[in-house]
Amino acid sequence: MDMDLDVPMHDAIEDQQLGPTLDEDRESANTGSGVEGTNTESVGQATGPLEIDEVEDLQDPDFKPGSSGIADQKSSKPLELTNSTIDQLDKWIEYLSKCQVLSEEEVARLCKMAVDVLQFEENVKPINVPVTICGDVHGQFHDLIELFKIGGPCPDTNYLFMGDYVDRGYYSVETVSLLVAMKVRYPRRITILRGNHESRQITQVYGFYDECLRKYGSASVWKMFTDLFDYFPITALVDNKIFCLHGGLSPMVETVDQVRELNRIQEVPHEGPMCDLLWSDPDDRGGWGISPRGAGFTFGQDISEQFNHTNDLSLIARAHQLVMEGYAWSHQQSVVTIFSAPNYCYRCGNQAAIMEVDENHNRQFLQYEPSIRPGEPTVSRKTPDYFL
Amino acid sequence: MSMGNNSDDNQELFNSKYILTDICCWNSVQSVESMERIVQQTDYDALSCRVSAINKGYLPSPCYQLEKCKYLGYKEIHLEYLNGLRQVSRRIYGKVAKSLQSSYPVMNYGTYLRTVSIDTELNGILSKIGKEQRVQIIDLGSGSDLRMIPLLHNYPNLKFIDVDYAESTKVKSKVLWGTPSLRELLKLQEPQVDQLVRSDIYELLSCDLNDLNETCAKLDEVTDVNIPTIIITECVLCYMTQDTSQRLIDRLTNLYKIGYWISYDPIGGAHENDRFGTIMQANLRDSRSLEMPTLMIFNSKEKYADRFSPLETSIQNMWEIFSRIPQDEIKRLKSLQFLDELEELKIMQTHYVFCKVHWGDV
Repeated sequence: MDMDLDVPMHDAIEDQQLGPTLDEDRESANTGSGVEGTNTESVGQATGPLEIDEVEDLQDPDFKPGSSGIADQKSSKPLELTNSTIDQLDKWIEYLSKCQVLSEEEVARLCKMAVDVLQFEENVKPINVPVTICGDVHGQFHDLIELFKIGGPCPDTNYLFMGDYVDRGYYSVETVSLLVAMKVRYPRRITILRGNHESRQITQVYGFYDECLRKYGSASVWKMFTDLFDYFPITALVDNKIFCLHGGLSPMVETVDQVRELNRIQEVPHEGPMCDLLWSDPDDRGGWGISPRGAGFTFGQDISEQFNHTNDLSLIARAHQLVMEGYAWSHQQSVVTIFSAPNYCYRCGNQAAIMEVDENHNRQFLQYEPSIRPGEPTVSRKTPDYFL
Repeated sequence: MSMGNNSDDNQELFNSKYILTDICCWNSVQSVESMERIVQQTDYDALSCRVSAINKGYLPSPCYQLEKCKYLGYKEIHLEYLNGLRQVSRRIYGKVAKSLQSSYPVMNYGTYLRTVSIDTELNGILSKIGKEQRVQIIDLGSGSDLRMIPLLHNYPNLKFIDVDYAESTKVKSKVLWGTPSLRELLKLQEPQVDQLVRSDIYELLSCDLNDLNETCAKLDEVTDVNIPTIIITECVLCYMTQDTSQRLIDRLTNLYKIGYWISYDPIGGAHENDRFGTIMQANLRDSRSLEMPTLMIFNSKEKYADRFSPLETSIQNMWEIFSRIPQDEIKRLKSLQFLDELEELKIMQTHYVFCKVHWGDV
């Protein structure tokens, strides 16, 4: 039964020093081993999540933003699809829809194309109704497929995703690859905003980095995607009435126009307006509060109402927080939270939801349950973590 | 990729599998043996979690374990044990070491909470009893737990009895004997052939807790029913059936005249929309055939504590315990790893309970 019976775990605690030494070892294993050449077998052992506070990773040439090269030859005008790129994208989408990963070289081509789509999108992406607004997906690929069944296939339905495609679920690579491929194929039909997990630092703790290493044998695909994340728009505005973003408001942002001024093409900062937009949460307490998450702020009903009034908005739609029914109103319907990962982390037992906004601005929530995975052998299943 | 299978299922699937498993369980003696092994192996999960929490710096907690409990060498003891484990079983060591590669904050927080809660409570009871009179701790299903080492060092009047399946105690005995520092700390005597290590202050008993007569007979040889006795069940009762666990509780709380029982376990959740417990049962059953027969029976704090009635009990869920951790300590925890959200932590920790029971008079 034990597949991992005698897996040589030598390096993990070989020299009896836990803690810093171990992490250093891993770091050098990750960065020093010639990223392209590492074989898949050694990867599982050589790597582990790095600490969030190890900012020096980003100083290392291999971890530096932009080092993947996907944005080295940016086009000066938006990508125009040719018949051959459409064919290619359709093939990729078909392949990805079966939960298969693209090759590293294909991911590189996809990300380069995506840069030339996303770099031209505004910080506040204007969107027309009808549109279906979705929250966190977190690598739960089969549930994303379920989402498209519930909401209708893309491009028949227009979609707005509010971030957090990767981490936690077991299929972050497949999930983000599919969404990016759809974005490139149907740039006016689907919008993918940036979430706080579309970040180099967070993905090193919460799974996407490890998953890339497992599935590709090196960090290069992780680098390409995290370099691409820098180009994702951070907010969207549906018919000038619904302001959509991953997290919430910022004390440094009073108007939507101020969001337009931000330089978003960067790693998610630890503080400041861009950080807040991706990290903040609505709260029952009024005014601004310190967020228990350690990034962003909490904001009260007074803040939401003021923001909506100032900007002539009817609603703030955001994701970012697990809500058991899949959606939850707050601040007397000034703010709605939408969460689209059912049974989050395969153990939370929550429903998921998406919000349809029709031509007349009517809103409807569609809730759904986890999908069943087709015929996977029980033994190879990974257990969600519990305390045993 | 075989790594990437998730376990999200719907209710129908849970139910149909439940029935199948139930039928299978009746099958043969062999399945009883494999159930024993499946439960016994949960010890490696617990050890992995603890090693991970130590590796990241959650444990030992300066304010709880070092200052309050006066634990010495917590990290070193665990390192020595791991090193010894590597000599005894590369397989188990490999499993534990593997866990270091992905150690999610939410798991480290939970491990921290269960560990410091039990340690703090044990030390509270022991310091109340004082060092003048004899006292004993019986750790039922102790597995690889090592809290006997700092406790025995701090309380010369203490005798510590670890109880677990033979498979588990055999490994523990070998590791303890094979590690000179631990051997010395426990003042172990050289074991006879095919025997487990022991000393005047420490006993390692191998038995199946489901076999109450065997358990009591073995405990009878090494414990004194007339001295204050602390019984620990940390994720143990949850693997037993309702009847067997109840008989164990009833028997031991009657046997020992003055006693304390400290228990940590998951609860399924009592709210009608709460699916945490059914999903947990299905996940564990699907992925490793592990059963938690009473998870949905004692699904609330009240029902869990009621198993000990009419004794004096106090029960909290781990989220309540988390909310009372002082700000400085929270700040320290936050500095170790970035915990990006509290919702998931809350869901998990509200489904684990810490129950304290007391009977007789000191």
